[in-house]
Parts: sequence; C-alpha cells; structure tokens
Amino acid sequence: MTHASVQQPLAKSRALSEMVVDRIWRFFCSVRAAVAEIAILAVLVLAGTLRGSSVPQAIADLFPVTAPVVDRWYAWDVFRSLPFAGILTILAVAIAVCTINRAPGIWQAIAHPSVTTTHGFLRNAETSAVFAAPMPADAFASQLETALRSRSYRVLSEERNGEIHLYADRWRFSRLATFPFHLALIMILAGGIVGATWGFRENEFYIPEGSVRELGYGTGLDVRLDDFSEVYREDGTALTYRSDVTLMRDGEPIQSGSMTVNNPLTFGDIVFYQSGFGQAVALKVEDSAGQVLFDDALPLGPFQSKLNPDAPAARMNLLPAGVALSVIAPDENPANAPELDTLQLRSGEMFFMIRPLGADSPITQPIGATVRQGDSIELGDLTLTFVRERRFSVLQIASNPGIPLFFAAAVLLVGGLAVTFYFPHRRVRGIVSTSADGSLARLAPIARRDWSAKRVFEQLAVEIGRQLGTDPELHVNEPASSSTGLGQSVRPSF
Amino acid sequence: MEALVRLSFYCFAAATIAFVASAACYLAYAVGRVRLRQRTLATSAGTTLVAHEASLEPAALGVGRFATLLAWFGVAFQAASILLRTVAGGRLPLSNMYEFSTTFVLLAGVVYLLFERWYGVRQLGAIVLPLVVAMCGYVWLLPADLREVNDLIPALQNRPLMTVHVSLAILAYATFAVAFAAAVLFLIANRWHVSWLPSPDLLDDLGYRAVTIGFPAMSLVLILGSVWAYRAWGTYWQWDPKETAALFTWLIYGVYLHTRSLRGWRGSRSAVVLLVAFGAVVFTYFGNYVFGGLHAYGGV
Repeated sequence: MTHASVQQPLAKSRALSEMVVDRIWRFFCSVRAAVAEIAILAVLVLAGTLRGSSVPQAIADLFPVTAPVVDRWYAWDVFRSLPFAGILTILAVAIAVCTINRAPGIWQAIAHPSVTTTHGFLRNAETSAVFAAPMPADAFASQLETALRSRSYRVLSEERNGEIHLYADRWRFSRLATFPFHLALIMILAGGIVGATWGFRENEFYIPEGSVRELGYGTGLDVRLDDFSEVYREDGTALTYRSDVTLMRDGEPIQSGSMTVNNPLTFGDIVFYQSGFGQAVALKVEDSAGQVLFDDALPLGPFQSKLNPDAPAARMNLLPAGVALSVIAPDENPANAPELDTLQLRSGEMFFMIRPLGADSPITQPIGATVRQGDSIELGDLTLTFVRERRFSVLQIASNPGIPLFFAAAVLLVGGLAVTFYFPHRRVRGIVSTSADGSLARLAPIARRDWSAKRVFEQLAVEIGRQLGTDPELHVNEPASSSTGLGQSVRPSF
Repeated sequence: MEALVRLSFYCFAAATIAFVASAACYLAYAVGRVRLRQRTLATSAGTTLVAHEASLEPAALGVGRFATLLAWFGVAFQAASILLRTVAGGRLPLSNMYEFSTTFVLLAGVVYLLFERWYGVRQLGAIVLPLVVAMCGYVWLLPADLREVNDLIPALQNRPLMTVHVSLAILAYATFAVAFAAAVLFLIANRWHVSWLPSPDLLDDLGYRAVTIGFPAMSLVLILGSVWAYRAWGTYWQWDPKETAALFTWLIYGVYLHTRSLRGWRGSRSAVVLLVAFGAVVFTYFGNYVFGGLHAYGGV
C-alpha cells in the first residue's frame, strides 16, 4: 500500500468528521433551530402548568376516550423529566455555541465596519435622503461628518474613485448587550443546579412551643421555638403570625430572633421562613418502671385518623415500648360531617390510642381512652399524661448557594434587554460625489423593514439639513407588500 | 372608607360607559363608511338608466378624534377610581382579581393612548378598546364582595414587592394587548390592502415596540416574583402553576422576538406568533380559576 493511498482514507475520514462537527455547529447556531427549541420548551412548560390545574380532567370529562392519556399526563412530572432536562441542556449549549459563533462578527461590525457602499444600495434603500451643496465634495463631506457627529454618530469615511464614502453609526456597543442577556439564562440554569446540588430545603419543619428540634443537613444546629403568636382580624382570618426562635449549637444559644411571613430570619447562608402553624399537645409517656419515654410536645395535624378525619391528629412510634401512639384532638369544625366523628371530644380533652408495633409488642389489640388536660391515664403498661395544649410553628428552612448567581443573572438579563431594545444600533451609509453644481450626497439607513429606524433617519436628515442650511430630498421606496401599492415617491422635507 | 370604596366603584362605572362609547367610535372609524352614489346615464335609445354604486370609504376624522376624547375620559374616570380605592385601602389596589382587573383597565387605556399619540394610529383602538370593554364586563361579573377593601393576608404583606411585581405584570399585559391589536391590524392590512389602514411596516414596528416594553416588564415580573418567593417561601422557583404559566407567556414572546430575525418570518408569520402569544397572556391572566398552588389566594 502506498503512502498516497493511506492518506486518502485518512483525508476522507477527516473530511467526514469535520463535516459532522460543522453540521452540529451550524445546528446550534441556527436561529431557526433556536426558535424550535424555545417553542418545544414552551410546550413542555405548558404541559407541566396544565398538570397543576383542572384542565386535563375537564378534557377527560368532555372526551372520555382521552381519560388514559389524561391519567398519564397527571402522573408525568414534566419539570423533572428527561425531555425537559434535555431541551434545557440543548438550549444552554445552543446559547453558548451561538454566542461564540456570533461574537467575532459582532465585534467586526463594531470595531471595523465596512465603510464603502454602492450607489445601487443607496438608490434601492427603502428610505434615502439627497443633499446638494455648491461646494467641492470633500468640503461637503466634512460638513456632513460634523453634522452627524453633533448627533452622537461615529463617522468613518473612505475615498474611492473620486467619491467619498461615509459610514455613520450610533450606539454600536449595544450590539454586545445580547451576550449578557443570553449569559444570564445560562447562569440561571447554573444557579438552579448549584442550589439543588449543594443546598438544602426543609419544607415542613414542625416545632412546638418550648421544644427544641435538630435541624440536620450537617448544620449542627438546633432550633428552639421560644414563643409563637398570631393576630387575627375581626372576621377571624389571620393578620400575621410570628415565631420567636433561638438557634443553638451543642446546647448553647448562638442567635435569637423573630420571623413572620415575608420577614425571614437569616443565619449565615441559612434562612428560616415562617410558613404556618397549628395545634400541638404536650404529653409525657412513662413505662411501668417509671422511665420517661417521651416528654415533649407533639404537633397535631400532619396525621389523619379514621376515628375522626376532620380532627387534628398525630402519630408517633414508641419503639422501646413496642407500640404506636395516636393522639387525636377535638374536631375543629363539628358541623362538618358530624357522622364521621366517632369520638365526640369536648374542648380540653384528647384521645390517646396505642397500637401494637412489631412482633414483640406487649399488646395485641389497640387500646384507647379520652383524657382531660392535666390528667394521666394508663394504657397497657404505659402511663400517658396530657400536660397541656400548645401551638406549633411550621417553618421552611433553606440554604441555597445558587442565589448570588441568580441575582447576578437577573441584573444581566434586565440590563441586556434594556440596552438591546432602547439603544438599538443605528447605521447610515452614504456617498458624496461631485455634481455639475458642486456636490451631491446621498445617505440611507441600514433599516430594511424597520419603520422606527427609517423614521429616526428621516428626523436625522431633516436635522442635518437644518444644520447645513440645505433641504434634503427624501426618497421612499415602498416595498411591494405595502398597502398603498405605491412605488418610489419623493417628498420634500419640512 | 366605605364611602370612598363606593365612590371608586361609581367612577369605574363612569369609565365603563366612556370606554364603551369610545370603542364604538373607534370601530366606526376603523371600519369606515359606506358611501352610496346614484348616477343617471342616458342611453342611445333615448332612455335613462339609473345606476347605484356603493363604495367603502374612510370614516370622518372627527369620529376618530371623538373616540380618542372618550378614551381619555375613560382613563380619567378610571384613574380616579383607582386613586379613591388606594386612599381607602392605604395601598395600590392589586390584591385580588377585581383590583387587578380594574388596574389593568386603567393601564391598558393609558398604554394604548400613548401608542396612539406616538404612532398617530387610531385604528388600533378598534381592537384595544373592545378588549378594555370586555375586561370591564368581566369586572362587573365578579362577586360584589371582591369590591371590599380587605387587609392583606400574611403571604401578601410585602408592599414594595407586591406593588412593583403586580404593577409590572399589569403593564406587561397591557402592552401585549396593544401588540396583539397591531398584529390583527397587520394581518388585515397585509391581506386586504385597505387604503386607510396604516402600512404593514408601521404596524409591524408598532407591535414590536409594544413587545420591547412588555417583554422586559414580563422579565422583571418573573425576577421580582422569584425574589419575593425567596423572601416568603425560601425558594425562588417552585414550579407553581402561575409561575410556569408566566414563564410560558415569556417564552412565546421570546419565540416572537427570534422570528423577527428569521428570513421569511418577519411580517405575517411573526404576527401570527403575536396572536398565539396573547392567547398565552389570557391563559396566564385567568389561570387562577383553574390553577392550584401558591398563587391561589386573594380569593380570586
């Protein structure tokens, strides 16, 4: 085999790999593909949104044949699904690739724009302005440049074939604003990943008044609820509720503070939020030897008992005693389904029930009884004392190291949008040439189908004419799709 | 306070009447008038032939001016209504659908009139004002107890954030309504070449300009909503249905902005995207009726 024949397959495979990379690169740079990706993401977001509504069920009720599809829809956790993560990943890659691809061209347009143009471009532009002056072309071009600069335009000029080509632009750096905006989108995604990976969130941290609970998550912190208070309006709705807590480490208090809804408590990068509250019961459980198995408060509400589904209830496993303890409070709304209330508890009473737990449980059947506040009762081998009613506070506790990324992204996103939309890059091209009466200058904006840009140019032309003491002749080439159907028209400025 | 609330409602009623009249005038102005002509022709046989012809012509300019005047009256009355309710409640009226919708009526009127002034396009009112009237009708159908001024529930007790977040949402929706109207008119003007409608390029630009106000406003709505969620609930994004519906709307307008740089998409196709996007706005606006989640407070 010759060296040349070995080279050919290598060359072919290199060409193939380059072609593949080139195709992939083009795909990620394609605006058309980006539109499709955003649209797919929007559809998935819509699917996830509707999943949290009654709309799919309404569809199933109207069209029973769709019921299996609707069931799968409700069961599909869209926002944690592979397609959703996939489209976000594709979009993030597309943003990065597109940015890398566009950056050189945008910088070229900013730093080294092409100055020369053609008479054909100026003649066929949708709007153009013609200025005449009884002076040589270079003097007239100089005056035009001064007038443009007075309107904050950067002006570049180049002489070619005895004519002076002009390029003027304003707010050229605004073209860069697209990059912080798109970067912000990636930063938001990154912030979410950082938060999910290195942060934590406890959604329902129940803590009764006077109790201490361990926070966990490797923080080494304990939380003690010193006091809970709420204020109600005349109509019975809650106005505000507040938790006074002390944070402790190794049994020693390190920080105390209060929190209400919308006013969280911060400790380092951990934030404590007031979420809700409810009723709790302080009780004491002792075994037959007098050993205390439980002496604390138990939040009522997270558990629902069949003895009265409406009543706040709690359940706790007492492993040393081999029993599960259920505690049920009086019904909060006796008028609602009273037939379900098998206990008929009065204010100041609690119902305790123990059930067998495990094969070694000392009891074989559930044993229950009603107890008044302050009283004790024996159930099996256990003595249970209903000490008093209390409240508990429900906190949300979170640590999110991705938050700084999010806030930085927010600033970049809004800033990028504002600059892109409100300081658009305006560009004007022109040629100044010698005429029989002196010189003629024709200017036109780079503004295809951009009504605002054309209007800005017309105002600029009028202003330049005022400065130069000459009225411009404005030419309008209406596109074929215009409603008037007119062709080129000339109108004087005013 | 009750007197102020009642007076506020009377001002809203007056605004409704003004907006209804204005919408009628804008429609008449946009549609034009039918002019009937009769011509008598003499035939070679010595008889006469009477011919009738009808032509569609633009309406008198005075109709359009009257429409604008009525719209300004509506805005003035509605502003008074909002002001009175603000004084009564000690805060901007933004906490339930009644307050949100009445504030939307005001902002939609203001935003439309500003665009009318900047662009000199009155025909847009034929679409925006009926939308405003429809929203007034919706407000009239709301339960009367929503008109009472109540204290904020604990979850809403962050006045700076609530004011800015909700106000920006209303501003975004109002500008998107103008963009929707521009898109509808664009499709009509582009299809039928009605001589007294603005040029398609102008309408395309107007729709785009409206979105350049609404899209950043919507972005801020999402950002400030996230900031508030972080402050109140400990996380800046919970995939709550109202959050994701707003994100869906934002994405559709993102699609629109990208289509404007696509060859062959600028014009009719991007106008259609604007129509779809406004559908997303309506979905997000009224989503409270079908969503559960964290935004389902305020009693609708």
